[in-house]
Amino acid sequence: MSQDDEKWGVAHVHASFNNTIMTVTDLTGSETITKSSGGTAVKQNRDEASPYAAMQMAESVAEEVKAAGITGLHVRVRGPGGNLQKSPGPGAQATIRALARSGIEIGRIEDVTPIPHDGSRAPKGKGGY
Amino acid sequence: MRIAVTGTPGTGKTTATELLADRLAGEEEADSEDGNADGEATDLDEFEVVHLNDVLAEEGLYTEVDPDRESKVADLDGLSEWLDDHDADTLVVDSHLAHHFDADRVAVLRCAPEDLADRLRERGETEGKAAENAESEALDVILSEAVDQHGLESVYEIDTTDREPAAVADELAAVVAGERAPSAGEVDFMEYLT
Ligand SMILES: Nc1ncnc2c1ncn2[C@@H]1O[C@H](COP(=O)(O)OP(=O)(O)O)[C@@H](O)[C@H]1O
Ligand SMILES: [Mg+2]
Repeated sequence: MSQDDEKWGVAHVHASFNNTIMTVTDLTGSETITKSSGGTAVKQNRDEASPYAAMQMAESVAEEVKAAGITGLHVRVRGPGGNLQKSPGPGAQATIRALARSGIEIGRIEDVTPIPHDGSRAPKGKGGY
Repeated sequence: MRIAVTGTPGTGKTTATELLADRLAGEEEADSEDGNADGEATDLDEFEVVHLNDVLAEEGLYTEVDPDRESKVADLDGLSEWLDDHDADTLVVDSHLAHHFDADRVAVLRCAPEDLADRLRERGETEGKAAENAESEALDVILSEAVDQHGLESVYEIDTTDREPAAVADELAAVVAGERAPSAGEVDFMEYLT
């Protein structure tokens, strides 16, 4: 594929305890190409954050993304589902793997999980993630 | 026994634990007026509520200041040692960091992110603080950490949305008394993000 045929977007993955949702935008973030939710893949509430549901969601999103002519995605992950080893919401990793398997090139992966804070906050890597 | 009361800033931890402390102090006083001062232990003996942000500031238990967030970065080891030296029969620890330390039970206060942001603005916090904490709450950041570190069997989620502080204190009292079943993930605030 030549450089000219490449078109990049951004996948915003939100991975919570309960669910994983994904929004794909253009590089500026202003135009939404597609939106999905783990809940659309598996109806039972308890399964929404499961890697399986996240994977199914990512596969259907990948088809829409390819149909829009996008060949590569940078990924911005927000939420503990993306990082905690034993997390009950491991949806983010499964989402990224499924995007890659469907033939979409994966660019930069950034973790932009917010940090709870008042007058104090946890050190980096210890909460906030 | 140590009870951690955690939750995103603005969920009402300090308000509810202060109410709980008043209530339990009142019960202790009533007990001693009943002539129970002869050393016979009640299950409320030696009850203490610790507001960890005060400890952190007074004891200097932080390593640096995060300039973007105007937040003191907690010295978790130092705070952990301080807590170990302050063991009461029942020690209630109020802090959004409380789940980072040993605890027998972990209460996680929750609040719908829109309402949480309103509460923080009303408390006089900046827009940035309100927004980042609301997003943290929508993503279950603290709940996930608490479950990760303590297991589903030790976590007690309490939704404070549209509930009076007194009702939240009631539910905390039930957790302290061992009258509540553990729970986690019963609220879903993700709609806030879309
Ligand atoms: N149950 C509640 N309902 C509505 N507002 C509340 C409730 N509990 C606390 N608040 C208000 O919300 C703000 C944050 O409460 P606070 O107890 O300081 O929370 P935290 O200690 O968790 O940061 C305060 O202004 C407080 O008056
Ligand atoms: Mg407080």
